[in-house]
Amino acid sequence: MTQFLSLLLNGISLGAIYALIALGFVVIFKASEVVSFTQGSLLLLGAYAIARLSDPLGFYLAALVGIAITALAAFVIERLIINRLRGAPVISLAIVTIGVDIILLTELIRRIGSDILNVPHPWGGDSVQIGDVGISENRLIAIIVAGLLIALFFLAFKFSSWGVAMRASAEDGETAALMGIRLGRVSALAWVVAGILTGVAALFLVGSPTPGVSPSAYTVALRAFPAAILGGLDSTGGALVGGLLIGVAESLAAGYQDDLLFLGRGFGDVVPYIVMIAVLLVRPSGLFGTRELTRV
Amino acid sequence: MNLGPVSRSAAALAAVLLAATAGCSTKAPESSGGGGGGGDAADVQTDVGVEGTTIQLGVLTDLTGVFAALGKDLTNANTLYWEDNQVCDTYDVELDVQDTGYVPQTGVQLYSGMKDSILAMQQTIGSPINTALAPEYESDQIVNFPSAWSKTLTEIPGTGVVGATYDVEISNGYDYLLQQGLLKEGDTVGHIYFEGEYGANGLAGSQAVAEAKGLNIVEAQIKSTDTDMSAQVTQFKAAGVKAIALTVAPAQTTSVAAVAQAQGLDVPMLGNNPVFAPGLLDGPTADWLKTHLYVASPVSSFADHADLLDAYQQAYPDVTPSLGVLVGYGMATLMNQVLDAACENGDLTRAGLVEAFDGLEDVDTGGLVVPIRGFENGKSPSLESFVLVPADEPGGAKVAQDAFEGEFAADIAG
Repeated sequence: MTQFLSLLLNGISLGAIYALIALGFVVIFKASEVVSFTQGSLLLLGAYAIARLSDPLGFYLAALVGIAITALAAFVIERLIINRLRGAPVISLAIVTIGVDIILLTELIRRIGSDILNVPHPWGGDSVQIGDVGISENRLIAIIVAGLLIALFFLAFKFSSWGVAMRASAEDGETAALMGIRLGRVSALAWVVAGILTGVAALFLVGSPTPGVSPSAYTVALRAFPAAILGGLDSTGGALVGGLLIGVAESLAAGYQDDLLFLGRGFGDVVPYIVMIAVLLVRPSGLFGTRELTRV
Repeated sequence: MNLGPVSRSAAALAAVLLAATAGCSTKAPESSGGGGGGGDAADVQTDVGVEGTTIQLGVLTDLTGVFAALGKDLTNANTLYWEDNQVCDTYDVELDVQDTGYVPQTGVQLYSGMKDSILAMQQTIGSPINTALAPEYESDQIVNFPSAWSKTLTEIPGTGVVGATYDVEISNGYDYLLQQGLLKEGDTVGHIYFEGEYGANGLAGSQAVAEAKGLNIVEAQIKSTDTDMSAQVTQFKAAGVKAIALTVAPAQTTSVAAVAQAQGLDVPMLGNNPVFAPGLLDGPTADWLKTHLYVASPVSSFADHADLLDAYQQAYPDVTPSLGVLVGYGMATLMNQVLDAACENGDLTRAGLVEAFDGLEDVDTGGLVVPIRGFENGKSPSLESFVLVPADEPGGAKVAQDAFEGEFAADIAG
C-alpha cells in the first residue's frame, strides 16, 4: 500500500508539472490555433536561466527573472514569427515552431554541455513524510504552486477581459475581430502566459528528486504533449486532467514494471502515448475537447 | 615555463615507460647497424601518418556536445602527455584533434577527412561513434582507444578498451560491497540501467554476481532522458533492496540519491564509472552521495597522481579537472607503449601497429589505469577495478579500494 501511495503521490506531483506545460500548449492553441512545439526548449531556457542567475542574483530573484526571460522568449517568438505568418496553414506554423525549437535547443545544449547545473532551491533536497509516504519538499511545493497557479488561471480565463477576449477569439476569430478584439494582442498575451507557466514548471522540474539542469529536462515537455492532446487540445480543464492522468500512469507503470514484464522493459516511457492513443480512440477530440461538427 | 611540473609528472610515469622506451632505444640502433640517435628512424618501416620523425595520431572527441567537459579533459590530457613524451626516443607525436559534437555522422565524416594522414587513433569518444566507425577502423587497420567500456568494443580489432568492461567493473564493485559487509549472500539488489549496450553490459555483471551469490536482482530499465527516479526507487523500497546498482549517468545518480534520502532507503549505491561527475558534489545530494555511493572505476584518483594534477592545472588553468584527465593520460601512455613496441619491431606501419597492439601483455601504466592483461578479441582487457567514493578533493573522488580483481571478474571476463 505504501508503495502504491508513494507512486500515486509522485505521479500527482509529476502530473502537476505536466499540467502546467500542457496548459501552455492549450492556451497557445486556443489563442492562435498554433500547435506550439517550442515548449520543450522554452522549458530548458527557463531552467538554464534560473540556474545561471542563481549565483549573482540569489534564488528568489533568479527564479523571477528566469520565468520572465521564458515569458519574454515566448513573446518574441510570437511577435517575430507567428504573428507575421498569420494566415499561413496551421500545419506550416506547427513546423515553424519545430524549427524554432531545434534552434533554441541546440544553442542551450551547447551551453549546458555535460555539466549538471544545480539550482540552489532554499528547500534543497529535504523531504516530508506523510504517514509512511515520503515526498521531496520541492515536489510538494510544486503541487501547491501549480494548483494555485492553475486556479488563478481559470479565474482569469473566466472573468478577466483578456480571458473573455481569448475565449471569444477561440470561438470565432473573425467575429471577435469584428467586435473589436485585437487578435494579435490576445495571441501575444497567450504566448506570454504559456511562457510563464513553462518557466514555473522549469523551476520545480530541476529540483529534487530530479537533478539540476541537464539537456534531458527537455523531454518532459514532450510528455506534456500527450497530456494536452488527451485532455482535448482546446480544453484548459482537459490539460489539467490530462497532465495528472499521464503523471500517475507513468509513475505507476515505472514503479510496477516488474508486474508488467510481459509488456517489455521500459514500459513506463511509452505509457503517456499509450494512454493518449487509448483515449483518442474512444473520444477523438480528447476527454474535454470540443467535438468538431461537420455537416455533410 | 611549465616544463618543470610537466617533467615531474613525466618522471612519475617514467617507471612505466622505462621498460618499453629503454628496450626500444637500445634495440633499434642494433638493427640499424649501430647508427645512434635519430638515425634509426630510417630503418623503421612506415606507411601512413609518419613524416620524418613526426607521427600523426587522430583524435575524434567531443568539444561542443553533451560530453564536452569529458572530451576537453581527455584531449587536454592526451596533448599534455605527447608534449612531453616521444616514441622510441626519436619520434614526436602530433595530434589531429577534431570535434564530433558527439554526433556519429559527423564523426564518420571527420574520420574520412583525416584517415589518409594519421597512423592511428589516440582517442575516439563515445560508444555510438566507435560502433559507427568500427568497420572502417577494422579495414584501415587502425589502433584506437575509446573512452567507453562496453564489451562490444572489445570485439573491434585494434580497439583497446582502457580497463575492465562494464560487467567486470560492476562485479568488482559487488565484491567490494560483499567484503565490506555492506551486502550479504541472498540479498535483494535493485539495478537501474540504461537501455542499450552500456546498460545491458552493466546488468550482465549484476546477473552474473547474482547467480554466484544467490542475490535477487530487481531490474529497472530506463532511457537516458529519464531523470526522475522516484518510481524506480519506490519500487526498490517495496522490494526491500539492500543495495542499489547503477549503470546510468550522473543525472540519474543524483536523482536516486534524492529519492532514497526522501524515502529513508538507507542502502549503499554501487555504480559503473560513468555514473559519477564531480558536479554532483555541488548539488543537494552531495552528503548522501559521500556516504552511500561506491563507484567501480578503471582509474584511480588525483591523490595518487598529484604531479599530473599540478601539471594539468598549470597547463589548463581555466578547467576544473575531472578524472577524465587520468583516463586521457592513461590512454596516451598505452598508445606510447604500442608505438614503442611497433618501433622496436622496426614496423611503424598500420599493420605493424596492430600486430604490436595484439602482442601487448601485462601493461602497467603506473597506477593511472588498472593493469591491462592484454587486448584479446571479445575479452575484458583487465580484471581489475578501483573503488572510488565521492569526496571534496580534486576530481571529486578518493580511492576506497586500490585496483583489485574481484571474485567474479575472471569468470565474467572470459
